[in-house]
Amino acid sequence: MLHGGFVPGRPYIVSGPPGAGKTILAMQFLREGLEGGERCLFVCLEEPPNELKINMRHFRWNLDDLDVLDANSDIRRFEPTPLLEISTEEEPAKMRAIGDRIRKTPEFESKEVSVHSLQQLLKNLFVNKDYERVVIDSMTALRYFCMREFEEAVTTQSFMRYLTESKVTSLLTLELPEEGEVPPEAFLARGEVRLHKLRDETGIKRFISVEKYKGSSHDDNVYSFDITNSGIVVNTIAKPAMAV
Amino acid sequence: MDRVVRGLSGLSMERVKTGVVGLDTMLNGGFLPCRPYVVSGPTGSGKTVLCAQFLLEGLQQQEACLMVTLDEPPIEVKSNMATFGWNLDRLKILDATPDVRAHKRAGAVIDVGTSLDVRDMEDVTDIRQSSQVRALEVTVHSVQKMIKQEFFHHLDRTKQRYRRIVIDSMTALKMFSMQGQDSRILIQSFLRFLSELEATTLIISEHLDRKTLETEFFLGRGEIRLHKWIDGSVIRHAVSIEKFRGSAFDDRMRPVSIGAKGMVVSFDAAPQMRGTSPGSKPGESLLETRLIDEVSNVIENVMRQIEEAHLRQVPVRDVEVSLSRAMLFFQRRNYQKTMKLALACDAELKERLGKAPPRPPTMMPPPPPAVVR
Repeated sequence: MLHGGFVPGRPYIVSGPPGAGKTILAMQFLREGLEGGERCLFVCLEEPPNELKINMRHFRWNLDDLDVLDANSDIRRFEPTPLLEISTEEEPAKMRAIGDRIRKTPEFESKEVSVHSLQQLLKNLFVNKDYERVVIDSMTALRYFCMREFEEAVTTQSFMRYLTESKVTSLLTLELPEEGEVPPEAFLARGEVRLHKLRDETGIKRFISVEKYKGSSHDDNVYSFDITNSGIVVNTIAKPAMAV
Repeated sequence: MDRVVRGLSGLSMERVKTGVVGLDTMLNGGFLPCRPYVVSGPTGSGKTVLCAQFLLEGLQQQEACLMVTLDEPPIEVKSNMATFGWNLDRLKILDATPDVRAHKRAGAVIDVGTSLDVRDMEDVTDIRQSSQVRALEVTVHSVQKMIKQEFFHHLDRTKQRYRRIVIDSMTALKMFSMQGQDSRILIQSFLRFLSELEATTLIISEHLDRKTLETEFFLGRGEIRLHKWIDGSVIRHAVSIEKFRGSAFDDRMRPVSIGAKGMVVSFDAAPQMRGTSPGSKPGESLLETRLIDEVSNVIENVMRQIEEAHLRQVPVRDVEVSLSRAMLFFQRRNYQKTMKLALACDAELKERLGKAPPRPPTMMPPPPPAVVR
């Protein structure tokens, strides 16, 4: 569909409503990289890494060498307590080292993730570790939870710009409402792969389309896909489904 | 059934049973433990029934279960559940319904978190009265604090962790407390808090607008959606799973019946969704406008009488409580409940004002009597 794949070194968006399969698609993207011996980083903003690990167990993928950065904010404190900036605290952990239990918020201090500190942290990581593929799951969480003191549109734009300059191929997931407008992140990326979820009397039908892809030709059709034991499989052989 | 549980099988993992016949099959065995899930649907679609069954199942497994109620006082939950004949006596219920707040002279407001009210279901006998001096206000923070206190008290007392928690409902929590604050961050923090308790949590939420992306829906690890629609002269119910992280699931919409034994999912027939599917129809908006007019009239009338009562120094605090609850239902477009409450207020006020000069406050009769205006 993408006529060969993503152009390296650019940010791309995977969008879709909750439950469409964004995280799975992003994970497959990283797995592909791992198999080619690339360094990959997964930034969790929506669910704790222990759950991610359990969720991905079903696919029996070897993700042991994947670096996972836990960027979930702690429980917010209402009393004034020292806030830890994530940039000074967190290091990515190897997938194989992630335990089964959730990390607990410490009693006296909370970690708070702001877009600024996350960017700082990524900058250090990119310099030190030389990542080739990065997934941010999700941009929506970043926008909703990490931009308290920032102007959202401008900050998002500058974050995307930063990713472009860092020369890493990045995949950002984006939550879409079931109906209605597409959030502005979609316009800022170099390309957008959109997942669609439709319900009819036989169950949920999933479709995938390439909405935008700068710098390359791409397939305009909408294809159906299934989530199988080995992840997402796009049915390119079948006739393209109806326009969504 | 075989096609239902297709793909992704294999690896067996501990599942948390829902207690609803058929729903476990749809979920490929049940929920994944220690995670928060969302139960959504319009009013009257069976959200609370589903959650009660979830808690009942837990109690039968000798697990500690907690219900946090923000919508209805425990006594009403209790009487609603009594019709099913379930033994929920050992269920802990945390009363986080707010006191009267609206249309009131400025006064001290204290956090509800400071007056913890957790009871066994069997001890629930009447409605908690608003304090005469101060009103309890509910915020995300205070609810969180209450749950936390209760969680650790319970752990101390019984050496048991709460395994199942139901929050009824997120919609109410948002309505009460989040004006002006950054609700997304508060919800994120609240869900994080629930995850860290390592209990399996069901969060009831009414999804009012399909065009907005509500935080709990994408942060929740799954969503069970209940449907309700009118098919000729019958009301039909159905259930579907919209999202379920880390597991395969049955992605069809399945018909549901709510009978004497609670909610049951059936697999025989596909629900007839054609034409009359949930969603607005022409004519419905007109009907809604008329309902709103009618309900607002009653409410205005009640408010006038409350003012009158204040002037004549007739105590009517409990009526104010009922009215503010009616207003909440009104905001959430639950006109039926609004009307019921407002009419009860109206009747009560008429009676008290009729008996002026003032006398000590009488309790409001729990079941609102049928009233003619």
